[in-house]
Amino acid sequence: MTELVEGQLIGPMEVDVDRAMIAAYAAASGDHNPIHVDDAAAQALGLPGVIAHGMWTMGAALRVVDQVLPGARITRAFTRFGRPLVLPAEGPTRLRVVGTVTSVDDDGATLALEANAFVGESDERIAKLEVRVG
Amino acid sequence: MPIDASHVGRTYPPAPPHTVTRDEIDAFARALGAEPTEEAPLTFAMKLAAPAWASLFADAELGLALERTVHADQTFDVVRPIHAGDVATSALTIDKVRSRGNQDFVTVVVDVAVDGQTAVVSTSTFLCTREAQ
Repeated sequence: MTELVEGQLIGPMEVDVDRAMIAAYAAASGDHNPIHVDDAAAQALGLPGVIAHGMWTMGAALRVVDQVLPGARITRAFTRFGRPLVLPAEGPTRLRVVGTVTSVDDDGATLALEANAFVGESDERIAKLEVRVG
Repeated sequence: MPIDASHVGRTYPPAPPHTVTRDEIDAFARALGAEPTEEAPLTFAMKLAAPAWASLFADAELGLALERTVHADQTFDVVRPIHAGDVATSALTIDKVRSRGNQDFVTVVVDVAVDGQTAVVSTSTFLCTREAQ
Protein backbone atom coordinates (compact mmCIF):
# COMPACT_ATOMS: atom_id res chain seq x y z
CA MET A 1 0.00 0.00 0.00
CA THR A 2 2.90 2.32 -0.82
CA GLU A 3 0.73 4.54 -2.98
CA LEU A 4 -1.14 5.95 0.05
CA VAL A 5 0.25 8.28 2.70
CA GLU A 6 -1.28 9.33 5.97
CA GLY A 7 -3.28 12.52 5.64
CA GLN A 8 -3.69 12.13 1.88
CA LEU A 9 -6.96 13.55 0.59
CA ILE A 10 -9.38 11.17 -1.16
CA GLY A 11 -11.79 12.48 -3.77
CA PRO A 12 -13.90 14.45 -4.18
CA MET A 13 -16.11 12.19 -6.24
CA GLU A 14 -19.62 13.17 -7.28
CA VAL A 15 -22.57 10.97 -8.19
CA ASP A 16 -25.98 12.21 -9.28
CA VAL A 17 -28.97 10.22 -8.03
CA ASP A 18 -32.67 10.50 -8.80
CA ARG A 19 -35.81 8.51 -8.10
CA ALA A 20 -35.41 6.37 -11.23
CA MET A 21 -31.93 5.30 -10.13
CA ILE A 22 -33.23 4.39 -6.67
CA ALA A 23 -36.09 2.38 -8.19
CA ALA A 24 -33.46 0.54 -10.25
CA TYR A 25 -31.43 -0.02 -7.08
CA ALA A 26 -34.50 -1.43 -5.28
CA ALA A 27 -34.99 -3.92 -8.12
CA ALA A 28 -31.28 -4.81 -8.34
CA SER A 29 -30.77 -5.17 -4.58
CA GLY A 30 -34.04 -6.87 -3.64
CA ASP A 31 -34.63 -4.21 -0.96
CA HIS A 32 -38.25 -3.33 -1.61
CA ASN A 33 -38.87 -1.16 1.44
CA PRO A 34 -41.62 1.18 0.15
CA ILE A 35 -40.07 4.25 1.86
CA HIS A 36 -37.62 4.34 -1.09
CA VAL A 37 -40.24 4.52 -3.82
CA ASP A 38 -43.52 5.70 -2.28
CA ASP A 39 -43.92 9.18 -0.74
CA ALA A 40 -46.90 8.09 1.41
CA ALA A 41 -44.86 5.25 2.97
CA ALA A 42 -41.96 7.62 3.67
CA GLN A 43 -44.28 10.24 5.18
CA ALA A 44 -45.84 7.60 7.46
CA LEU A 45 -42.37 7.36 9.08
CA GLY A 46 -42.09 11.14 9.42
CA LEU A 47 -39.86 11.64 6.38
CA PRO A 48 -40.63 14.47 3.93
CA GLY A 49 -40.69 12.04 0.98
CA VAL A 50 -38.90 9.07 -0.52
CA ILE A 51 -35.28 8.60 0.54
CA ALA A 52 -32.39 6.75 -1.08
CA HIS A 53 -31.46 3.41 0.47
CA GLY A 54 -28.63 3.83 2.96
CA MET A 55 -27.07 0.89 1.17
CA TRP A 56 -27.21 2.80 -2.11
CA THR A 57 -25.29 5.66 -0.50
CA MET A 58 -22.73 3.26 0.97
CA GLY A 59 -22.26 1.45 -2.34
CA ALA A 60 -21.97 4.68 -4.32
CA ALA A 61 -19.55 6.23 -1.80
CA LEU A 62 -17.28 3.18 -1.87
CA ARG A 63 -16.75 3.74 -5.60
CA VAL A 64 -14.26 6.43 -4.63
CA VAL A 65 -11.96 3.66 -3.39
CA ASP A 66 -11.95 2.09 -6.87
CA GLN A 67 -11.09 5.48 -8.33
CA VAL A 68 -8.18 6.12 -5.98
CA LEU A 69 -6.94 2.54 -5.70
CA PRO A 70 -8.10 0.53 -8.70
CA GLY A 71 -8.15 -3.15 -7.82
CA ALA A 72 -7.75 -2.53 -4.07
CA ARG A 73 -9.32 -5.12 -1.83
CA ILE A 74 -11.71 -3.68 0.76
CA THR A 75 -11.56 -5.95 3.79
CA ARG A 76 -13.89 -3.99 6.05
CA ALA A 77 -16.28 -1.13 5.55
CA PHE A 78 -18.35 0.60 8.21
CA THR A 79 -21.00 3.23 7.53
CA ARG A 80 -22.97 5.33 9.98
CA PHE A 81 -25.97 6.90 8.30
CA GLY A 82 -26.72 10.53 9.13
CA ARG A 83 -29.44 12.59 7.51
CA PRO A 84 -31.59 10.70 5.04
CA LEU A 85 -30.96 11.46 1.36
CA VAL A 86 -34.41 12.82 0.47
CA LEU A 87 -35.10 12.68 -3.27
CA PRO A 88 -37.18 15.41 -4.92
CA ALA A 89 -39.94 14.28 -7.30
CA GLU A 90 -38.02 15.69 -10.25
CA GLY A 91 -34.36 15.96 -11.05
CA PRO A 92 -31.15 14.64 -9.59
CA THR A 93 -29.49 15.18 -6.21
CA ARG A 94 -25.71 15.30 -6.15
CA LEU A 95 -23.85 13.13 -3.64
CA ARG A 96 -20.31 14.32 -2.97
CA VAL A 97 -17.77 11.96 -1.41
CA VAL A 98 -14.54 13.18 0.20
CA GLY A 99 -12.12 11.69 2.66
CA THR A 100 -8.63 11.22 4.00
CA VAL A 101 -6.20 8.40 4.61
CA THR A 102 -6.15 8.10 8.41
CA SER A 103 -3.45 5.43 8.76
CA VAL A 104 -1.10 3.29 6.70
CA ASP A 105 0.61 0.15 7.95
CA ASP A 106 2.24 -3.02 6.61
CA ASP A 107 -1.10 -4.70 5.98
CA GLY A 108 -2.97 -1.85 4.32
CA ALA A 109 -4.58 1.46 5.07
CA THR A 110 -7.62 2.95 6.76
CA LEU A 111 -9.68 5.66 5.08
CA ALA A 112 -12.28 8.00 6.57
CA LEU A 113 -14.91 9.12 4.06
CA GLU A 114 -17.91 11.44 4.16
CA ALA A 115 -20.85 11.50 1.78
CA ASN A 116 -22.68 14.82 1.64
CA ALA A 117 -25.60 16.03 -0.43
CA PHE A 118 -27.26 19.35 -1.03
CA VAL A 119 -30.72 18.62 0.36
CA GLY A 120 -33.36 21.29 0.60
CA GLU A 121 -31.35 24.44 1.25
CA SER A 122 -28.21 23.13 2.88
CA ASP A 123 -25.37 20.66 2.57
CA GLU A 124 -26.25 17.63 4.68
CA ARG A 125 -24.03 14.84 5.97
CA ILE A 126 -25.66 11.69 4.61
CA ALA A 127 -23.11 9.13 5.77
CA LYS A 128 -19.70 8.68 7.38
CA LEU A 129 -17.62 5.70 6.41
CA GLU A 130 -14.51 3.98 7.71
CA VAL A 131 -12.90 1.72 5.16
CA ARG A 132 -10.05 -0.72 5.55
CA VAL A 133 -8.13 -1.64 2.40
CA GLY A 134 -5.39 -4.22 2.24
CA MET B 1 -45.19 -8.03 22.37
CA PRO B 2 -42.44 -6.07 20.62
CA ILE B 3 -38.84 -7.18 20.19
CA ASP B 4 -36.66 -6.90 23.31
CA ALA B 5 -33.30 -7.97 24.67
CA SER B 6 -34.61 -11.47 25.37
CA HIS B 7 -34.53 -12.09 21.59
CA VAL B 8 -30.77 -11.56 21.39
CA GLY B 9 -29.11 -14.74 20.11
CA ARG B 10 -32.14 -15.88 18.15
CA THR B 11 -31.09 -17.42 14.83
CA TYR B 12 -33.02 -18.54 11.80
CA PRO B 13 -32.38 -21.36 9.33
CA PRO B 14 -30.37 -20.18 6.28
CA ALA B 15 -32.34 -18.79 3.36
CA PRO B 16 -32.37 -21.09 0.29
CA PRO B 17 -29.14 -21.02 -1.81
CA HIS B 18 -28.92 -18.31 -4.46
CA THR B 19 -26.71 -18.58 -7.54
CA VAL B 20 -25.16 -15.21 -8.37
CA THR B 21 -25.43 -14.23 -12.04
CA ARG B 22 -23.36 -11.82 -14.11
CA ASP B 23 -26.57 -10.00 -15.08
CA GLU B 24 -27.52 -9.25 -11.49
CA ILE B 25 -24.01 -8.01 -10.67
CA ASP B 26 -24.17 -5.75 -13.76
CA ALA B 27 -27.62 -4.38 -12.81
CA PHE B 28 -26.44 -3.74 -9.24
CA ALA B 29 -23.27 -1.92 -10.37
CA ARG B 30 -25.21 0.24 -12.85
CA ALA B 31 -27.73 1.23 -10.14
CA LEU B 32 -24.73 2.60 -8.19
CA GLY B 33 -23.62 4.56 -11.25
CA ALA B 34 -20.61 2.25 -11.66
CA GLU B 35 -19.29 0.35 -14.65
CA PRO B 36 -19.96 -3.38 -14.28
CA THR B 37 -16.93 -5.41 -13.23
CA GLU B 38 -16.08 -9.09 -12.88
CA GLU B 39 -16.19 -8.84 -9.10
CA ALA B 40 -19.45 -7.79 -7.44
CA PRO B 41 -19.42 -4.42 -5.62
CA LEU B 42 -18.87 -4.93 -1.89
CA THR B 43 -22.44 -3.90 -1.01
CA PHE B 44 -23.82 -6.58 -3.36
CA ALA B 45 -23.51 -8.78 -0.26
CA MET B 46 -26.66 -7.01 0.95
CA LYS B 47 -28.64 -8.50 -1.92
CA LEU B 48 -27.50 -11.91 -0.68
CA ALA B 49 -28.31 -10.98 2.93
CA ALA B 50 -31.79 -9.65 2.08
CA PRO B 51 -33.45 -13.12 1.97
CA ALA B 52 -32.26 -13.66 5.54
CA TRP B 53 -34.00 -10.46 6.65
CA ALA B 54 -37.24 -12.05 5.45
CA SER B 55 -37.09 -14.49 8.37
CA LEU B 56 -36.71 -11.57 10.78
CA PHE B 57 -39.71 -9.70 9.42
CA ALA B 58 -41.72 -12.92 9.19
CA ASP B 59 -41.20 -13.63 12.91
CA ALA B 60 -44.56 -12.42 14.23
CA GLU B 61 -43.33 -12.44 17.82
CA LEU B 62 -40.96 -9.52 17.08
CA GLY B 63 -43.57 -7.16 15.61
CA LEU B 64 -41.12 -5.77 13.02
CA ALA B 65 -42.02 -4.59 9.52
CA LEU B 66 -39.80 -3.53 6.63
CA GLU B 67 -41.80 -0.34 5.99
CA ARG B 68 -41.20 0.78 9.61
CA THR B 69 -37.44 0.15 9.34
CA VAL B 70 -34.59 2.60 8.63
CA HIS B 71 -30.92 1.67 8.36
CA ALA B 72 -28.75 3.25 11.11
CA ASP B 73 -25.36 1.68 10.47
CA GLN B 74 -23.76 -1.08 8.46
CA THR B 75 -20.51 -3.04 8.53
CA PHE B 76 -19.20 -5.57 6.05
CA ASP B 77 -16.27 -7.80 6.93
CA VAL B 78 -15.01 -9.39 3.76
CA VAL B 79 -13.27 -12.74 3.65
CA ARG B 80 -13.55 -13.03 -0.09
CA PRO B 81 -15.38 -11.04 -2.76
CA ILE B 82 -18.53 -12.33 -4.50
CA HIS B 83 -18.37 -13.40 -8.17
CA ALA B 84 -20.85 -14.67 -10.76
CA GLY B 85 -21.44 -18.37 -10.30
CA ASP B 86 -21.10 -18.27 -6.53
CA VAL B 87 -23.81 -20.24 -4.75
CA ALA B 88 -24.57 -18.20 -1.64
CA THR B 89 -26.61 -18.83 1.47
CA SER B 90 -27.31 -16.36 4.25
CA ALA B 91 -28.25 -16.91 7.87
CA LEU B 92 -29.30 -14.25 10.37
CA THR B 93 -28.70 -13.88 14.11
CA ILE B 94 -30.17 -11.14 16.31
CA ASP B 95 -27.11 -9.61 17.97
CA LYS B 96 -28.36 -6.63 19.97
CA VAL B 97 -31.63 -4.89 20.87
CA ARG B 98 -31.87 -1.46 22.48
CA SER B 99 -35.24 0.20 23.02
CA ARG B 100 -36.01 3.90 23.26
CA GLY B 101 -39.63 5.03 23.47
CA ASN B 102 -41.56 3.54 20.58
CA GLN B 103 -38.39 2.71 18.66
CA ASP B 104 -35.96 -0.21 18.82
CA PHE B 105 -32.39 -0.31 17.57
CA VAL B 106 -31.97 -3.87 16.34
CA THR B 107 -28.54 -5.17 15.32
CA VAL B 108 -28.47 -8.29 13.17
CA VAL B 109 -25.50 -10.27 11.88
CA VAL B 110 -25.90 -12.08 8.57
CA ASP B 111 -23.34 -14.68 7.60
CA VAL B 112 -23.15 -14.82 3.80
CA ALA B 113 -21.49 -18.09 2.87
CA VAL B 114 -20.33 -19.48 -0.46
CA ASP B 115 -19.91 -23.24 -0.66
CA GLY B 116 -20.38 -23.41 3.09
CA GLN B 117 -17.52 -20.99 3.86
CA THR B 118 -18.13 -17.47 5.18
CA ALA B 119 -17.50 -14.95 2.38
CA VAL B 120 -18.90 -11.77 3.93
CA VAL B 121 -20.27 -10.96 7.37
CA SER B 122 -22.87 -8.21 7.24
CA THR B 123 -23.70 -6.43 10.50
CA SER B 124 -26.66 -4.06 10.29
CA THR B 125 -28.29 -1.84 12.87
CA PHE B 126 -31.87 -0.98 12.01
CA LEU B 127 -34.02 1.67 13.65
CA CYS B 128 -37.42 0.02 13.92
CA THR B 129 -40.48 2.08 14.76
CA ARG B 130 -43.19 0.16 16.62
CA GLU B 131 -46.60 -0.22 15.09
CA ALA B 132 -48.97 2.57 16.17
CA GLN B 133 -51.33 1.33 18.88
